[in-house]
Amino acid sequence: MIDRVYLAEASIVVPALIACLIWCLPRGWVERAALAGGVVTGGLALVVAGVALADPGHPQVGGWIALDAAAGLLIAVIAVVGLVSVLVSPAYLAANTSTLVGEPRRRSTYYVVFFAFWSSLLAVPLAGNLGAAWLLIEATTAASALLVGFSGRARALEAGWKYLILTSLGLGVALLGIVLLAAGVPGGGLGALSWRALPSYASGAPSGLIAYLLLLAGLAAKIGWAPVHNWLPDAHSEAPAPVSAMLSAALLPAVLLVAWRCSQGMAPVIGASAAQGVLIGFGLASVAVAVPFLSRPMAWKRLLAYSSLEHMGVIALGIGFGTPLAMAGVAVHIVAHAIAKSLGFVMVTPLLAHEPLAARQAVAGIGRTRPALGAGIGVCLGTLSGLPPSPLFVSELLIIAGGFQAGRPWVAAVATLLLALAFLGLIRALIDTIAGTAPWREATRLPGLRGASALAAVSVVSLLTIAGGSAWLPASALVQAFLKGVS
Amino acid sequence: MSGDLGGAGLSGLAVNAELAWVLVGLGLAVVMVQRRTLAIGLVTAQALVLVGLALGHARGPEEYVAAGALALRAVGLATVFLLLIARTRDPRPSSAGMAPLRRGGLAVALALALTWLVPTIGLASRDAERAVLGLAAFGLLTAATRPATLFQVLGVVLVENGLALAALELPGTSWLIELGVAFDLILIALVAGVFHERIFAEFGAGDTAALRSLRDGP
Repeated sequence: MIDRVYLAEASIVVPALIACLIWCLPRGWVERAALAGGVVTGGLALVVAGVALADPGHPQVGGWIALDAAAGLLIAVIAVVGLVSVLVSPAYLAANTSTLVGEPRRRSTYYVVFFAFWSSLLAVPLAGNLGAAWLLIEATTAASALLVGFSGRARALEAGWKYLILTSLGLGVALLGIVLLAAGVPGGGLGALSWRALPSYASGAPSGLIAYLLLLAGLAAKIGWAPVHNWLPDAHSEAPAPVSAMLSAALLPAVLLVAWRCSQGMAPVIGASAAQGVLIGFGLASVAVAVPFLSRPMAWKRLLAYSSLEHMGVIALGIGFGTPLAMAGVAVHIVAHAIAKSLGFVMVTPLLAHEPLAARQAVAGIGRTRPALGAGIGVCLGTLSGLPPSPLFVSELLIIAGGFQAGRPWVAAVATLLLALAFLGLIRALIDTIAGTAPWREATRLPGLRGASALAAVSVVSLLTIAGGSAWLPASALVQAFLKGVS
Repeated sequence: MSGDLGGAGLSGLAVNAELAWVLVGLGLAVVMVQRRTLAIGLVTAQALVLVGLALGHARGPEEYVAAGALALRAVGLATVFLLLIARTRDPRPSSAGMAPLRRGGLAVALALALTWLVPTIGLASRDAERAVLGLAAFGLLTAATRPATLFQVLGVVLVENGLALAALELPGTSWLIELGVAFDLILIALVAGVFHERIFAEFGAGDTAALRSLRDGP
């Protein structure tokens, strides 16, 4: 039987090798190689995720690789979102010709950077120590910044630049926190930064708290938590749609996992209440900042970006509450959010072909003019808003209940109010976008619509299955494994 | 040396106080100067001082690897930045954003606030701790107040130079952090270089003051 660690390492190395291969191939082969490589990478990563999730009670934790249930969940999400993004990339590249690089290498550059990004992203949840996790997160920044600015348009350059500088500075602050932690953990060396070594921090709770705050403040800039989220709406709205899906559905929760592991590792040092309180603070702030933006008419991708801010806040709240109910909610939320957000960004290519104004402003009546497109958008917005039977309704309910279970009724009450306001904002967007008044449009063939419609159908089945199956989660071995972490 | 603290049972190597303050002085100069080439020279000098410190502290192969990584980073970054300047000559100086003295004053105030807010952080000397926090403050302020794209990247480099100084005082982990920071900074600088060139081509200047189209308003 193949060792789990080898499998995990292969899931990181294979996409990196595919990136190298694509760079060497002639132009005519690039797209086929990318699609085949996407299937191989996605399949391999799903095997790794399956292995981790099948045996959640026995995590494999070494100096470099940590393969536990939480990593398995994130690897599954990154695998599926990455695969979907690769599959819809040809439609994006066919519909958009402007580029950061010269035309002869446009496709190969896109896929090379994409696979490099995918490889580093798959490695983030698997990182066995904080130092490696930090380095990998920074690697995702370099690759994804190039992808954000890939169109080479002025707005994309602005978004990419803002993303690069703000997240690099944020990660610099996080590195300061890591240095402080390394100074306080006895032993030194790589082992001092391993997840299991963090609880042995010996320089006292006050300096441990400062290290933790620096670490989380730095990671918050990458996760897109308020108030350091400024790059998020710009990057998500200006990046190529498949890349936006990766950023929103896979990158943000992957980095959030690192924050989660830090919280679990530092809780014995600074106190569980303090460790969780910081997460709850970021969570409430993010949902509160997102609400006014979700309540106003906004361009489609920008609306999805602010929805990411809201949902990363919800996940932070769930992790902060840290009870079985809340952790079950977190698991459901991460998966359902990824499905809905991928669908939303996959709809972008046909939506912009149907209504180019959607790139810059809110559009209405898509369900009237193109029912198939409207259906996909409706599924996405209905899910993201938490409209029953959306699994995000279930997960938010679980997280709020987890807040009461954790003895934080006031936080849970405020979160409920904010989520209700966010719900109203997104429902209004749903009604306007689907059923609002729209000018007549000639029915033309829309690029990517067939694939997007197929994805919408698969998403509906998946989302309903998740919603139905989430009832057993709070008492499951999976949630117990989340609570235990890698310790 | 005064102010030695030791750190969590580790035999941290205390950085010479005078050299720590030289690093801070160079950092403050980066905040205040107007010319990009001068700022690159100052940041490179700072990195070379770090190389000297790393070599002075090196006791085994791992520490020599760390010093080599720092040296590679110093030379690599200087080369990348100077090449970028040669390829993107601004017809006019980019806007400074804020008067040099005001920038300097703000930078010192931020550094003092940070050293006041953050107590002992476990490095081998208190001087090094203050220098690390000071450089982080100068880097953040440079990135926040200088509209020129290259200055914003230099802000990131300043922060990471401070972190490299901190890593020098952490035996064992130091070489890993140095290697990581070196790899990371060169990667980020290369990507920033691509953006800088495209921003220059698009707007006629490497100036983020031109990047103001993405706003949602209150």
